[in-house]
Amino acid sequence: MTLKILDPTVSADEATDVAVAKRVADLDGKVLGLLHNGKVNGDHLLDLVREQLAARYGLRDVVVVRKPSASRVAEDAVLDRLARECDAVVTAIGD
Amino acid sequence: MLTEATRRRTITAEKVAINAVLAGCRPEYMPVLLGALEAMADPAFTLHGAITSTGGSATLVVVNGPIRQRLGFNAGGNVFGPGWRANATIGRAIRLITLNCLGAQPGLLDRSTQGHPGKYTYCIAELEEENPWEPLHVTRGLAPGTSAVTVFAAEGPHNVLSHYGETAEAVIVALADTMASLGSFSPGESFVVLAPEHVQILARDGWTKPRIREALYARARRTVADLKRGGKLAGAVEPGDETRWEHRGRGPEDIHIVVAGGGAGGHSAFIPSWSRDRNSLSVTKEIR
Repeated sequence: MTLKILDPTVSADEATDVAVAKRVADLDGKVLGLLHNGKVNGDHLLDLVREQLAARYGLRDVVVVRKPSASRVAEDAVLDRLARECDAVVTAIGD
Repeated sequence: MLTEATRRRTITAEKVAINAVLAGCRPEYMPVLLGALEAMADPAFTLHGAITSTGGSATLVVVNGPIRQRLGFNAGGNVFGPGWRANATIGRAIRLITLNCLGAQPGLLDRSTQGHPGKYTYCIAELEEENPWEPLHVTRGLAPGTSAVTVFAAEGPHNVLSHYGETAEAVIVALADTMASLGSFSPGESFVVLAPEHVQILARDGWTKPRIREALYARARRTVADLKRGGKLAGAVEPGDETRWEHRGRGPEDIHIVVAGGGAGGHSAFIPSWSRDRNSLSVTKEIR
């Protein structure tokens, strides 16, 4: 008798329709995106991130976007804009 | 068959079946489980937020229609408690799927501050036989005689004990007071699960479902001053805050009435939304 083990799990790498963006080596001359998820103080956290990264790299530009609701996924238009305009994006929650 | 929109994980029928067996479901429960998952995948439900938020919600599942008897759901005594395989295992299968297939494991993606016991299982049926009005799924637009499942990203049930008033007014006062308590107060949706005793009193006194919803909406309210004093809103109390009112929900249609529970006892339940506003809404699907 053979025993067949069935796996109840779906792992993260089985996600469909997702291609991971190319990693950047550094942020010199790059456009940084900052996506605030809408929670209280998330903007302050991102301000600090911006300050730290700007001190370390010669950023070409910074794009700041805020989600209207922390619970809901960012709208396609917002994600498309970040993908189009930015080389790297940092997102943060607050509270 | 189910794709979760945020992390794009697809759950196949095979994975649903494996988790259903682990949970103890019988094969004939599958249409209910698939209906619940389909409803949870509706964008209005905001599945990823509901299963990961500090708010710690669980998916309340309410089953309506003839499938209740066919599969042996409990809608009577101890309706939120143990003892019935269909209720227990369908709720458990949903939890196992969120754990095993959606990555919502405690401490990883599930960041619930406290969570609640409904995260083990949280599935009830409506006691339509004791409902003098129309059942939940009919109020929500489905035809009488159909079977349906409703999902709601929800806190645990809050008991509303009202034994001695024996009037509709007393039942409404107790319900509205519970709904207005600061802890869960928000403009989100509400489920009100009425016990048969309370239903009989309300019906005897001539109350209809729309009237109940309107009365609860009108009375389940707090002043802005109260909300600030309780840390529900930021800022100090300002002139005018004592006379500015916020309501539970955006309108009477945000208050959903379900009849369930044992024949004896004046214990109804108020179940608040996880969502503090419109970010996650209850969804009803026909079971096919």
